[in-house]
Amino acid sequence: MSLFSRTAFIAGVSVLSLAGCATGAAPAPSPDAQPETIQLSNCGVAVSFDEAPERVITIKSSTTELLLALGLGDRIIGTAFHDGPVPDEWAAEASGLTSIAERVPSQEAVLDREPDFIFGGWESNFSADGAGERADLEALGIHTFVAPSACQSAEQPPKLSFDDVFSDIETVASIFRVDASALLTEQAAQLAAIDANGDSRTALWFSSGSDTPYVGAGIGAPQLLLDTVGLNNLAADIDATWAPYNWEAVVDADPDFIVLVDADWNSADKKIGILEANPATANLSAVKAGRYLVVPFAASEAGVRSVDAAASLSAQIAELDG
Amino acid sequence: MAKVSPLAFGAALAIALLVSVTVAVTIGPANIRFDEVWRSIASHVGFGVSPLTELRDGIVWQLRMPRVLTAAAVGAGLALSGAVMQAITRNPLADPYLLGLSSGAALGAVSVLLLGAAVLLPFAAFLGALLALALTLLLAGSLGAITPSRTVLAGIAVSALASAITSFVIFWSVTGDSYREVLSWLLGSLSGARWPAVAITMTAIIVIGIPVMLTGRLLDSFAFGDVQAASLGVNVSATRWGLLAASALVTGAMVSVSGAIGFVGLILPHAVRLIVGPSHRALLPLSALLGAVFLVWADTLARTVFDPREIPVGIVTAMIGAPLFAVLLTRRKSST
Repeated sequence: MSLFSRTAFIAGVSVLSLAGCATGAAPAPSPDAQPETIQLSNCGVAVSFDEAPERVITIKSSTTELLLALGLGDRIIGTAFHDGPVPDEWAAEASGLTSIAERVPSQEAVLDREPDFIFGGWESNFSADGAGERADLEALGIHTFVAPSACQSAEQPPKLSFDDVFSDIETVASIFRVDASALLTEQAAQLAAIDANGDSRTALWFSSGSDTPYVGAGIGAPQLLLDTVGLNNLAADIDATWAPYNWEAVVDADPDFIVLVDADWNSADKKIGILEANPATANLSAVKAGRYLVVPFAASEAGVRSVDAAASLSAQIAELDG
Repeated sequence: MAKVSPLAFGAALAIALLVSVTVAVTIGPANIRFDEVWRSIASHVGFGVSPLTELRDGIVWQLRMPRVLTAAAVGAGLALSGAVMQAITRNPLADPYLLGLSSGAALGAVSVLLLGAAVLLPFAAFLGALLALALTLLLAGSLGAITPSRTVLAGIAVSALASAITSFVIFWSVTGDSYREVLSWLLGSLSGARWPAVAITMTAIIVIGIPVMLTGRLLDSFAFGDVQAASLGVNVSATRWGLLAASALVTGAMVSVSGAIGFVGLILPHAVRLIVGPSHRALLPLSALLGAVFLVWADTLARTVFDPREIPVGIVTAMIGAPLFAVLLTRRKSST
């Protein structure tokens, strides 16, 4: 499995950087360190960065949190589309950030702040009725970037892996000319320590919906997290990141666990209510026994909280297993 | 074209409906055998013991059975409303969808769902449908004599307005990705149909639908114009508004459960006319039966073709109905 090679690689990087520390030459990120232009293809759009962005607007919690994790909080001039509470480690810094829109900001709301970079969690954040088309923003001198794992129109990862997640983090770090190796070393170590205690039991990743459940399917972050903890996704065969599913198939499979995504705007408790109110799903063994695993929405999308989300799933399974 | 005897066609449709329901409940993503499905259903009406586990029994009795029955009732209700409206407005293009009733009902229902107005859902949908219908007819009337094309144009205007307000309500109040649920419902979906939905739609069919089905003779007198109808002793105005209100009530009950499903009310009465002729005494009950059979199968397609995903049934009815509608238009052209 490629996970091992990645872990080994990260471990190698960490040894080097530790050696660097030992000689007293702490790697100080500076714009001069990598003066060359960074050229990337992002969801099929060519983007290039001559210098590190200074005035950044983030859309979706996943992008805000990634920049905070990379120590780039001071570059953020505005955030939008907050999905839920920020983890404690970044909460203090996050509280100082300005939210410019509850959901996707409009073009004017974005331009008004005069950013030089907009970092979107979803491709759809960049549209004429959202923050603006990417080409239009580029013409105004504003670079755009979509979390690569969220690409749908082009360059969608065939099946998301932690290699992809980590390489996304490295890519973003490279745009800002900062070093992600410490963060990635920490993440790789945490990932390696996760106990795959799902033991091939089955799980439904219940993201939203009531009449028609919208579930985590076979190629996105939900599948990756379930794989990591050793759970078999009910919707693994659907070639999509998330997909509308069918209650009959859920009841037929009677999953061992149900993963509930907890968002500010669609809580885990609400989903438990939906499961209990439907007479067919109320009889599911996971519902009767309360075998729910809860994932915060912001951690359910690929990013800097993916490893933590997998670790949390594993811990919740251990707790339920008693 | 030789017409089929209404009685023979009716008997064939009744058998087809029975067979459709019987077969449709045995089709689904879960692999449950035909005999197991029916022994499970029998156990719920007091015969024998279900051979299935409690959970799989739930698939049959809590998911499939109410959904198939609701599909039958909604199909019957929409086709009946369409037939009645076509007769009353003497407009072959009339149907709950085109005349704005469905959009009005959807607006009423969405307002209740999202804004939490303290009214029962079917009642709100009924009020919305009635209001939209009244608006459509008033608008059509104010343009001059009520002709089919004026009515449809007025319906489009009212429908567009109701849809815009619905979109506004949704845009304003929907959070996160819950738009997905509302969208599915607006496209017309039976995925949420449980026993309460069966109760609402069946009650509407029995209490309002069946009496309406028996008004065929009255509607036949309308066919030759208001004056002719009045000369036959029909209270034209009271009958017209009474039947339109009944159609709105039936449509409201159906839309509150299924969202706006298009083309059922428009196409099926025409199909029946082609087969048995224009007499409303036969047309109304036969349209209802054919509508029931049609929607049972359309919904079975919607929930099984992309198994285990499902699509809103309104997409299926539109994909079948829109081409038929086009054929209908070209036939009208060649006949005038």
